Amino acid sequence: MKRLMARTAPMSPEPMSPELMSRRKFLISASVVAGGLSLKLLPADALASTRQPSALGAEAELSPWLKILPDDSVIVTVPTPEIGNGASTQQAVNIAEELECAWDKVKVEFALFSREYQQPGSYAVGLQPFFGGHSTDHDRMPYTLQLGASARERLKAAAAKRWNVPVTEIQARDSVLTHTATGRTLRFGEVAADAAGIELEVEPTIKPQSQWRMLGKTKPHKLQLPEVVRGTAIYGMDVILPGMVYAAVRQCPVHGGVLKHHEPEAVLGMPGVKAVVVIDPAKTVGSPVQADATFGLEGSECHSGVAVIAEHYWQAKKALDALPVEWDLGLGTFWSSVEKLNERQDRVLERWGGAALTKKGDVNSVVPAQTVEATYYTPFCEHATMEPLNGTALLTDDGLEVWHPTQDMQQAFWVAVDESGLDPNKVVFHQTLVGGGFGRRVIGDDVRSVVAIAREYPGVPVKAIWSREETTRQGSYRTALAARYQAGLDEQGKLVALQSETCFSGMELSLGYTDMAYAASGAIPNVRIATSKLPTHIATGAYRGPCYNSHAFTVETFIDECAVAAGLDPLQYRLDLLAEWDPAWSDCLKLAAEKAGWGQPLPKGQGRGIAISNWPHSGARQAGSTVCAVAHVEVSKAGELTVHSIDLTFDCGRIVNSDAVLQQLQGGVIFGLNMALNDGLTIKDGAIVEGNLDTIPLLKMADIPQINIHFEALSGHDRFAIIGEAPVGPVGPAIGNAIYQAIGKRVRTTPFRKQDLSWS
Amino acid sequence: MSTIKFNVNGQPQAVDIDPSTPLLWTLRDHLGLTGTKFGCGAGLCGACTVHFNGSAVRSCQIPVQALEGAEITTIEGLSESGDHVLQKLWVELNVPQCGYCQAGMLMAAAELLKRIPNPSDEDIDTHISNICRCGTYPRIRDAIKRAAQEVKV
Repeated sequence: MKRLMARTAPMSPEPMSPELMSRRKFLISASVVAGGLSLKLLPADALASTRQPSALGAEAELSPWLKILPDDSVIVTVPTPEIGNGASTQQAVNIAEELECAWDKVKVEFALFSREYQQPGSYAVGLQPFFGGHSTDHDRMPYTLQLGASARERLKAAAAKRWNVPVTEIQARDSVLTHTATGRTLRFGEVAADAAGIELEVEPTIKPQSQWRMLGKTKPHKLQLPEVVRGTAIYGMDVILPGMVYAAVRQCPVHGGVLKHHEPEAVLGMPGVKAVVVIDPAKTVGSPVQADATFGLEGSECHSGVAVIAEHYWQAKKALDALPVEWDLGLGTFWSSVEKLNERQDRVLERWGGAALTKKGDVNSVVPAQTVEATYYTPFCEHATMEPLNGTALLTDDGLEVWHPTQDMQQAFWVAVDESGLDPNKVVFHQTLVGGGFGRRVIGDDVRSVVAIAREYPGVPVKAIWSREETTRQGSYRTALAARYQAGLDEQGKLVALQSETCFSGMELSLGYTDMAYAASGAIPNVRIATSKLPTHIATGAYRGPCYNSHAFTVETFIDECAVAAGLDPLQYRLDLLAEWDPAWSDCLKLAAEKAGWGQPLPKGQGRGIAISNWPHSGARQAGSTVCAVAHVEVSKAGELTVHSIDLTFDCGRIVNSDAVLQQLQGGVIFGLNMALNDGLTIKDGAIVEGNLDTIPLLKMADIPQINIHFEALSGHDRFAIIGEAPVGPVGPAIGNAIYQAIGKRVRTTPFRKQDLSWS
Repeated sequence: MSTIKFNVNGQPQAVDIDPSTPLLWTLRDHLGLTGTKFGCGAGLCGACTVHFNGSAVRSCQIPVQALEGAEITTIEGLSESGDHVLQKLWVELNVPQCGYCQAGMLMAAAELLKRIPNPSDEDIDTHISNICRCGTYPRIRDAIKRAAQEVKV
């Protein structure tokens, strides 16, 4: 998953400026489509790199970014999936900000990746071409703003030509062009076709941020909301195609195991059943050309299994339940339990043999006054997206079409090409809405299984549906990890040496760990931060703030333990360590503490805890999103934990939609809360034990504490850092640290529901 | 297979179907009403909540054979044109994130308001036991309270 780092972590946040635009070579080209104006973004070298158009319809594949139709509709084509954070809407807002159109005329459509394949660079502007996680992609924003401005100037020029007046006398506002001298007006749609014939001598300069009218406000909300509340929004699960059949899926309960025996004849006579097909990983054909999957194809392998195909889903499910199946479970059964995993992780950590990725001074050179040591464990966690895994595919002699709720169209497209072995020109990928992502729908193992099933039943669309139990057991979980820390404190309690090793069982990402701010700030003279691996057969992948969500827990709990050992206030301890660091970190700490009443006495059994982290730039100043949480908890003598409140402060520089940011922070706090209190899968003989939601406790309405999100620590630094992942980090450690203050018990393992918190 | 007759959103339906098929899949696969969502199939998450003779139920737990003559309301029929007070507030207060669970949430909330026009926090906690993984609970609570105020006025 090295590429995950490359794609999700822009090297440095750059201020948006005309200079930035001019450094990137692209052209805007206009044409008439459906009697209106159509604008495309073309990389400067596009003509040279354009591939032969395919048989599947060149026009659709060469879809533009922006269309303005005679009825004034503005159709924005977006290359990002919509997973609930407003990523698709945000791009339309960027365009509308410069276009000066009426917002109620704006619609978004998902781009076809085929155009990007035909004409590389068409949508893949910036570092995150097709990733859905980020709504305020700093890198893509200049392009969408420029497109809006370009369209506006073309419309103005067309109106000026129609009226034979200077273009400087034309004003554009709310989809209307006004000749300021005479008051004459034209709608955008009335001159859209003319505008396609306008050639601009030079692309207009985009507005300064101070003149923004839409960006930086609390609205508009997500464009799909009206469809969502009416039940007409189409998620992957809701795709209906003529002649479609349904597949119910079951795969080997131990990842890596294979289907040994099954008896299709036992169910083939059941009502509606059409076929029993095998999902065979050995049948993957492989891409005929070099695949350009966003995160590579490793981890997208489909799990061996069976699927029953029937006229209706319920028939398929009933038959699948009745189908006799035997598995060859394979080597994964070695991992008999979570305890065994933890024990083996301990063995790795005891050696202190991991590769040091961050080093400073010599941790062995100091003789500390006091040593603090602790080991932490975080388990595999299931995303539990509310929309279970599913997807629809149609394989015919002409090619392959897929309809899917992916988080990454580019990844999904190439997985489909790789599984089918078809010429990429013959593969069309349709994006649907996504009923929860959180990283589960990134790598594309689900897409691959969907294609593998459809291949066995060609000619009609096949919608494959995993039950909730199967969705849980065929997960691509959060990495389980164990981390050991050792600190040397001097006589004043100051950290003079810090040594740590994190052992990853699964996908390894070190953001928030090897670049932890306490080390990056230079406050600790001797540092050795290492990583090691203990792979298992269990599939892991991205999980909202991948691995960072665990690192924040281990780092922030350990720093708290150091503060306690030093006899110092945990807030002040952090402030001292970060005194020479990006001041926004201190601002976040102080504000959260003040808002939460830090230092005010509480009765026994109650406590406050604090934690701070940053995603994805913990080790850089004025970068990423810094988030700080203070938790107020109460623990009964019997060990029942109640979280009364979470106060959250943050700095992501600037924000383009404050309500969208607020919503992501609220949701992120609740996700982090669930991760700390509840999330944690168990293993029995290599298989995931949990299945339906009775075994995966998820927070409900009655469980939600008071959540206070404070905006006053925003620095105003000129960056629009991503905000969805960051808040999941500090919530868990803040609660754990609060538990220590409340009852004197240190919690070093999540989820907390499984820890003994009783006291007397 | 047998033919079951019932009303959905005021429209009479006669469905020729395996009588053990849950109402959820009857709506989705047989009647093309995909607004009602599959989340768990075990009555745990509430994504499939509909009104059965006026009561909020989890449609994945009700076999279609129990429906003869019943009046079913789904999210598509909650209001004529998406203008139920809750639907309007859900948009105005930007309640949904991914939105997948929200049809069930709306159906549960609509029934709560019918039963208890001015619900307390405890009423909301008790009656809204649906699951939202995106964490929209605080906004759902706000929207229900706002709706109670608006209906009163």
